[in-house]
Amino acid sequence: MKNRNKLIVGSAFSLAAIMVAIDHTQHSLPEPIVQENIVIEDDNESPCSMSDDSSPCGLGD
Amino acid sequence: MKNNILHPDKSIVTLVLISILAVSLTLQHEFNLKQALFFLVGIGFGVSLLHAMFGFTGGWRMFIREKRSIGIRAQLLLLAISSILFFPLVGDVFPNISAQAALGQVGISVLCGAFIFGIGMQLGGGCGSGTLFTVGQGQVDMLITLSFFIIGAVLGSYHLPWWLSLPNIGQVSLITELSIFPALIIQLILFFVMYLVVKKIERKKHNEVQPLYIKDTHKSMTDRAIHGPWPIWVGVISLSVFGLLTLVMAGYPWSITFAFGLWGAKILSALGADVASWAYWSSGYPAKALNSSVLSDITSIMNFGIILGAMLAAALAGKYAPAGKLKSKRILTAVVGGLLLGYGARLGFGCNIGALLGGIATGSLHGWLWLVAAFIGGIVGVKIRVALELDAPYGVKYEKSK
Repeated sequence: MKNRNKLIVGSAFSLAAIMVAIDHTQHSLPEPIVQENIVIEDDNESPCSMSDDSSPCGLGD
Repeated sequence: MKNNILHPDKSIVTLVLISILAVSLTLQHEFNLKQALFFLVGIGFGVSLLHAMFGFTGGWRMFIREKRSIGIRAQLLLLAISSILFFPLVGDVFPNISAQAALGQVGISVLCGAFIFGIGMQLGGGCGSGTLFTVGQGQVDMLITLSFFIIGAVLGSYHLPWWLSLPNIGQVSLITELSIFPALIIQLILFFVMYLVVKKIERKKHNEVQPLYIKDTHKSMTDRAIHGPWPIWVGVISLSVFGLLTLVMAGYPWSITFAFGLWGAKILSALGADVASWAYWSSGYPAKALNSSVLSDITSIMNFGIILGAMLAAALAGKYAPAGKLKSKRILTAVVGGLLLGYGARLGFGCNIGALLGGIATGSLHGWLWLVAAFIGGIVGVKIRVALELDAPYGVKYEKSK
């Protein structure tokens, strides 16, 4: 009987947690922003650029 | 000497601790640290309520049936300490701290709402705080009460504009009318007189008075702090401290039942109902709460905290999810009681926490009206319980039952 009660209460709490997650997701996700023709330019200024040994992520000293 | 500690439910303790950590981090990440702290204050309330078994429903029933006043005296102490702490904050004695009183209209709406709530408390088996902490304890019947509490609160929010149009004298702040210290002194005298009266009634009936402090020599202080039970006066102190933290952090006193209406309104909205067009949910904070994440509502996250805090305390005490078969009569009273609780709370500007404790401790006259009307409702509720044979007739030794 005790295990059955645990199962009922656990199921109810799980359902409530899912409902809270759905509600939060519906309200907190920003509207998707449509962006066209995004061009990512490699200007070798990234701290981990492979072409710059002096960068903090460089392999050589 | 035999140690009578029940075995803690370690798996539940672990699960709850992980959940508390996860929810706190989520709130801190999605909102801010303050939001996480509100949740932790809720945990504190839940642990305190469960370990001290601090409930309004049982205390009132014990007094009405058996003339045992320990519960009522603890509630009077809580009201007195909270008033001493809250009056200066609400009365702007500290200009840097902004705190509002829980004011409500003094009129027919509160009178009827609190009366209905008082009946609901006895049938449903809990009040606002009591329902939450017993749900956290894993009582299946209280899950039914909570479900219908939510439905009742939504119904109440639909009808509230009509109730508010009935005769009333508006909001009355005793602090504004009488100024802080005269109002506080009058209130403390009233608590003191009530304390003496209920004590005298108990002494007359039983030739002795149950003390608020009962020493338990079977357990060390650490054991009691972790596994409970706490003496009821410890519950009074801790609830006062968490109540003060809530007032300082939120700017208004602890409340519970607004969230129940909000949860119900959100579920109804998700099912396609146009709740947002209802007068109650179309303006002010209710409209904002309906259109925001439930996690942004302070009352809701504190309620989640109370449930998890009570679950933690119950698991530590080895009292989580008590065994017991639900009888059809108990299901019926949980349904009817829950509906009355929810509907009454909306009309009465809150429950035993938001209207009674929050109202009286911040100097709102509607809190006093709520107390009188709900207590009369409680007497009716206790009589209904006897008529339904949930309790033994008056005069027969009372045994705790649902």
